[in-house]
Amino acid sequence: MQALRIAATGMDAQQKRVEVVSNNIANMSTTAYSARRAEFADLHYQQLRAPGAISSSTGLVAPAGVELGLGVRTSAISVNVEQGSLRQTGGDLDLAVEGRGYFEVTLPSGDPAFTRDGTFKKTGEGLIVNSEGYPLSGDITIPQDARSITINNSGEVFAYFDGQTGGQQIGTLQLSIFVNEKGLEAIGGNLFRETQASGSPIPGEPGIDGRGAIRQGFLEESSVDVVQQIADLIEAQRGYELNSKVISAADQMLGSTTQIR
Amino acid sequence: MTNSVYAALSKQAGLSKELTSIANNIANANTAGYRREGFLFSEYIQRLEPQDRSLSQSNVGGRFFDSTPGALSQTGATFDIAIDGDGYFVVETPRGERLTRQGSFLLDAEGQLVTPAGDRVLGDGGSPVAIPPEAANITIAADGSIAADGAPVGKLGLVTIAPTALAREGENLMRATEDYEFIENPQFRQGFIEGSNVNAVVEVSRLIEVQRAYELNQQLMKDEDERIAKTVEAMRRR
Repeated sequence: MQALRIAATGMDAQQKRVEVVSNNIANMSTTAYSARRAEFADLHYQQLRAPGAISSSTGLVAPAGVELGLGVRTSAISVNVEQGSLRQTGGDLDLAVEGRGYFEVTLPSGDPAFTRDGTFKKTGEGLIVNSEGYPLSGDITIPQDARSITINNSGEVFAYFDGQTGGQQIGTLQLSIFVNEKGLEAIGGNLFRETQASGSPIPGEPGIDGRGAIRQGFLEESSVDVVQQIADLIEAQRGYELNSKVISAADQMLGSTTQIR
Repeated sequence: MTNSVYAALSKQAGLSKELTSIANNIANANTAGYRREGFLFSEYIQRLEPQDRSLSQSNVGGRFFDSTPGALSQTGATFDIAIDGDGYFVVETPRGERLTRQGSFLLDAEGQLVTPAGDRVLGDGGSPVAIPPEAANITIAADGSIAADGAPVGKLGLVTIAPTALAREGENLMRATEDYEFIENPQFRQGFIEGSNVNAVVEVSRLIEVQRAYELNQQLMKDEDERIAKTVEAMRRR
């Protein structure tokens, strides 16, 4: 009975969906988190009679074949890249990206990683680092005696000193965009790594050529829509139950076959 | 003498195929763009000895393919494109062109519109669709015209084909066994995906029906078995 195995693939797929939904709900307050979605595709088909098979010597063609589908599988878990709402925090190194674009940080291995989580901090040496301590690329050092810093929409960083009226530009932040953002590899800690699917990063000045603007004093909230996730969860649970119904029906049919003698 | 057993057996063999198709429909109840399927049973008549009447058995004769559209669900994603009405997207796979209703697309590293499996989506006229990487705002109009920041960059297309000329391949793809042509006025909806058109109520009632019919045939075979046993027993006593 193939039905048993087919229903098992269905249960497996629904379980994946519940896992994805639970991860989304768990991350509903994670800065700049985008909801994931499980996508499914049908498995291959067993052809009992090919469509277009010749059904008689006069060349008549059977209008439809007989094909048995063999279940479902998870084809992709795609990131639904969406702008989250911006929450005001007032922190001078809390940065949100309004639009497309990622900040680039350097991992301890020296490789670049990309993030939309703009909760940056300052080290004792004045370097700008993320919550894990990975330095923001761009080599910006905030002078020890700076009174305050301002980052404008185009990423220019100004430092203000006591006794001076004007600010002094100490560097520029860049944002990187990707041809296919959904192809980035999530490595945890709100970080992503470039892959062959995402294409190479295209760094540049924020606010132009498709890059979003930087908002100082704001953080991007998670874009998870909890209502939609709950609806998904209900659907997945019912789908799971339906598949288990098929398993019990197939089991009972097998049972009645074995009872014949 | 055992002909009735064969007739019941042929029905059971068909029913277990029917069960397979129900299981596949339910397993794919959340597969985007999936079309529910079922089997058609036809009579297969076997001629017997001249003194007997011919025996009719059942045989899986064909498959039907329900092409009513599935429900649309809103996702808001730029490249989630649902087909409003009839038609199929054409995608270019290493094995040749294939058709699909599943419209949750992505961009590849070159900026071309691809399926989750990485196959290129062919637009109106049969050429791949490329999206400029620096475009901030991509809109897809109801007729399939794609605009990147207001400038047109391509057009999506749909083809039409008779449902019977489609062979399923898995991966939400279908192979056409006949030529197909582009539709003149295709209709799309950006930010939506089309769900599967499997109706859980229908599938579960079919499931019960199949299960009961199977048990009924089982009972018939059992009764027949007992009848034969009794006959043998009666003949032995004489």
